[in-house]
Formats: sequence, structure tokens, C-alpha cells
Amino acid sequence: MTVETSVQLTLKILQEKATRLRIDSVLATTEAGSGHPTSCASAAEIMSVLFYSVMRYDPHDPRNPDSDIFVLSKGHAAPILYAAWAEAGAFPREKLLTLRKIDSDLEGHPTTLLPFVDVATGSLGQGLSVGIGIALHAKQFDCSGQRVYVLMGDGESAEGSVWEAAQWASLRGLNNLCAIIDINRLGQSQPTMLQWNLEIYKARWEAFGWQALLVNGHSIPDLIAAFETAEHVIDRPTIVLARTLKGKGLLGIEGLEGWHGKVLAKPAAAKVIAELESQLSGADGNGSQIFPQRDATVLKPPRMAIQVQARSRPMR
Amino acid sequence: MLDGDVENSTYTEEFDKVASNRFFEGYIAEQNIIGMAMGLAARGNVPFAALFSCFLTRAYDFIRLAAISKLNIKIIGTHCGVSIGEDGPTQMGLEDLAISCAEPNFTVLYPADATSAWNATTLIAEHSGPCYLRIGRPKSPILYGPDERFAIGKCKVLRKSREDKVLVVAGGVTVFEALAAYEQLQKEAISIRVIDLFSVQPVDRDELIASARAAGGIVITVEDHYAHGGLGDAVLWALAEERVRAYKLAVREIPHSGKPKELIEKFGISSGHIVNAVKSALA
Repeated sequence: MTVETSVQLTLKILQEKATRLRIDSVLATTEAGSGHPTSCASAAEIMSVLFYSVMRYDPHDPRNPDSDIFVLSKGHAAPILYAAWAEAGAFPREKLLTLRKIDSDLEGHPTTLLPFVDVATGSLGQGLSVGIGIALHAKQFDCSGQRVYVLMGDGESAEGSVWEAAQWASLRGLNNLCAIIDINRLGQSQPTMLQWNLEIYKARWEAFGWQALLVNGHSIPDLIAAFETAEHVIDRPTIVLARTLKGKGLLGIEGLEGWHGKVLAKPAAAKVIAELESQLSGADGNGSQIFPQRDATVLKPPRMAIQVQARSRPMR
Repeated sequence: MLDGDVENSTYTEEFDKVASNRFFEGYIAEQNIIGMAMGLAARGNVPFAALFSCFLTRAYDFIRLAAISKLNIKIIGTHCGVSIGEDGPTQMGLEDLAISCAEPNFTVLYPADATSAWNATTLIAEHSGPCYLRIGRPKSPILYGPDERFAIGKCKVLRKSREDKVLVVAGGVTVFEALAAYEQLQKEAISIRVIDLFSVQPVDRDELIASARAAGGIVITVEDHYAHGGLGDAVLWALAEERVRAYKLAVREIPHSGKPKELIEKFGISSGHIVNAVKSALA
């Protein structure tokens, strides 16, 4: 009989949380009749690790000024953002089924009607600049040690505004900013320019002055390690370049082209969900909206205040 | 305060001198500048981004999302209109009112002199919601005394009599053209009412209606902006249910380099054009 170590249990819980986020994304989008489940599925482990292990925030007080902030720059993955907050206990999971309805705050792409959304996203290429504004506030005015996480898509990183932001964030040494690119290789109508050429992504971001970390975007331990590394850099922002599969975990459509922005019809969705549910062991308390390191994820006293940077910093 | 490498043209360098920890140099990257302002606003700051009005068009998608997000962001567009002069059309903001007014929750102010610009800045700083402030380049005389009060949604009636034959509504540099036209027409015993619109969105509908009625229902709007979506259209909307004849003086072709006065004359928005429009309307 094997005894699970607490590390292994945590990894298992985080994996099951990712599975739950996939289930929620499929349920919500199928119910709504539209949405982007495959774009959600590629980011499930990233979201799970951030929301249930790395970020410090209070799901019952999303506007708390000391919380870490998450910006979903790839706003079309809204269903998994909503699922992440629901699974954290911010609101009942049943509400996820109101996605895209006229009387629901859970709009097709996130808007500021929701307390956990700082800026409406969905117009790709904006989230990193927005994240800089938030990180600047945290560093310059709050000195709270807040960290800011911005999740972008790989197709999105063709936008010039992403590179405007990239050059400024590193010039400023915004080490409290951590971006992630969900490199699932597939855009809307075709594969992206760079597909899975992660070495080129890394070279570009390093050239722009960022610490660039390559990870398997579906490996919980890899992601945890990457975010840990990001927290210890003091002079530049970090980008986690996560190699993923579009539609990961969705039976029959994982990695396939032609599924951007397409929902599963009810019969197919039922099969996909059944398969995902069969992977759950209840290690996360049967989705009881309690996340693993609860004590670590509620607000702690602020991290050590970071020295305010001079305005005109010479480039390294 | 955020700048895009024009702080010595917009004079936000003065802000940098007194509050450098609240001044951020964004360099020539307008999308990122407005995006950063959005993030700052989201966390409770009141960010001002002062850029040349024409270059804001580059960041229009960010302005659009700032509106959708209902952020407390304050955008200043300077160097508007043909009146910037020799730099030519690529440096002229001629559609910035159309762009900002298109967003239904943007407050848009267009002060004509230093006093009203000072007031407008305070007004938008204190107003909750996205705002756009349009500022011209040429030096202008001081129109208003230090005790003059301004408000969002309120215009200023600068010339008024019981004999007004026509209402002229102007903004920014064209306010001075309208006042010059007033003087010229006085010599010919024609009285016109002159309004400095100041608040383009929301517009002072009550005063515009009252003044239009008092001036015989003839209205001439004059703006250093293209014809679509600017000051003229704001006034026309306000008077849409009234019995008026309305004439819109605006820049109706792609402009050119030249001296500011020459360009104002050539592109149809000078005091001479206003005088002619008044006389034609009354003929």
C-alpha cells in the first residue's frame, strides 16, 4: 500500500481541479450554444496552478487591494476564468450555466460587470499593457508585493501592442509581472506563425529583456516550478512559454484544427464530460470549492516592499 | 500622467518636475500608453495620458475598451486641427472628436483658452468615467477671467443681444474666429449670438435650443475638425427636433502644410467664412 506524500496529493488535487475546469468550460459553452471550449481546455493546468496554488487572493473579496491580480488577455477563454473563480468559491457553480445570457454578468468575453475583472478583454493584444499598469500601481504606489499574472494566447502575440508592452515592462524592471503564453499552436483559422517553435519565442522574449521559461503547459510540477522561479527574479518580468494542446483533454477533438470557437453538441459534450469525470477521484473534496493549500492562498502579510525604480533606467 | 515622448510639446514635462513618481514615460508607443493607463485606472488611480490628438487614433482599440470597461481614464489630445500649421495633415487631429464622441460614455470637453482649459482639467479629474479633452496648439488670448465657472454639459454664451439674427457655435480656435466675425458683422449692423460650446459630449442642449430660437432659428457651427462626428454634429443632434436651418463649417478636404492663419482661411473655418455664411443664410 502506498502512502501519498502531501506533495503528490497536492499535485493530484491540482490536476483534478484542471479537469473540473475543463468540465465546467464544456458544460457552460454547450449550454450557451457558443464559446471557445478548446481555448479553455489548453489553459486548464495553467489556471489550476495559478488559482489554487500560486496566487494569493480572497475569492469572497475579489477587489481586495492586496490580492494578486490575474488578467485574462486571451479573453475568449472567459468560461475557464469564470470556472476558476466559481471553483474557488466566489459564486455557485450553477451560475456558470448562465454564460452569454442577456441577464447574466458572465458575458461571452469578460467585462468589468464582474468584480474580478479589472479591464474588459477579448480584443487581443491589450492584456499585457493593462497588466503593466496594474503592476506599476503595485510597485510604485502600493509597494504591496502584489504580483500580476497575464495569460495570453500565441495567436495573440502577433499583435504589435504586445511588443510595445514587452519592451516597456522590461525597461522598467517590473519583476512583479508574470506573463504566460498558452502556446497551443492553433489560431482561429489556421496554425499560428511560429506553431510550437518555442526556441524562437524564447529568443524573442529574452531579446526584449524578459526572463523566458519554457514549460510543458500541461505539467503541474513544471508550472509550479516556473512560477516559483518567476517570484525570485528581482530585475525583470518573467514570461512562461507553455507548450499546450488546443482542446487538451476533450475526447475526440484534442489538438485538432478547425475547433476554435466551436462548441460541442450535447451528445458529444456528454461523452467528453463522462470521460473527464472518470478521471476524478474526489481528491479535491469532490469539487467542494475548497482548494488545496488553503492557508497559503488566503491573504498573507505583504511581501517585502520592493525598491521603487528610478524613472529613467539605462538598459542593461 | 503618461507621456509619449511629447512632454516638451504638451508641457506635461512641468508635471514631471513636480511629481516625477507619478509621471511615466511611455515613449512612442501609444497603444501601450493607453493600456497602462487602463490598468492604473482599474486599480483606483486617475491617469491622464496627454498625446497629440492625431496619434491617439493608433490607440483607438484601447480607447474603445476603456469605454467598455467604464474606466476612469483621462485622455488629452493636443495639437488638434489645421491650426497646427506647417507640420501638415499627418500631424493634425481632425477626427478625434468623432472618435471620442462615438463612445457613448465618454465625456468630451473642448476648451478655447487657458482658463477654460484649467477648469476643464479639474472637471475631468473630478468626474467619474472616461474623458477626452481636446486642446489646440496656437497661443490664444485669455477669454475668461479667473472666477469664471465651467461645467460638463454647459456651454458659454459669449455674445448675446435681443437682435441676434444668427447663432454661431464654435469651439477652440474657431471661437476667436467667431468673435472676429461678430466684430465685423457689428459694423454692418448684423448681430449674431456666439457660443463657445466647451462641452461637446454631453452637449448643452437646453442653451442651444434657447439660443437657436432666440436667433431666428439659423445656426452656423464652425470647427477645426472634419465635418463628420464633431462639434457640428453634436449641435445638430441637440437641435434635431427644432425648426432650424443649420450650416456646418468644417474641414471638408484633406488639408495641407501652411501658416495656421492661411490654413484656417483655406479650409473654410475663418472669420471671413463665418461672415459669408451669416450673410448667405440671411439673404
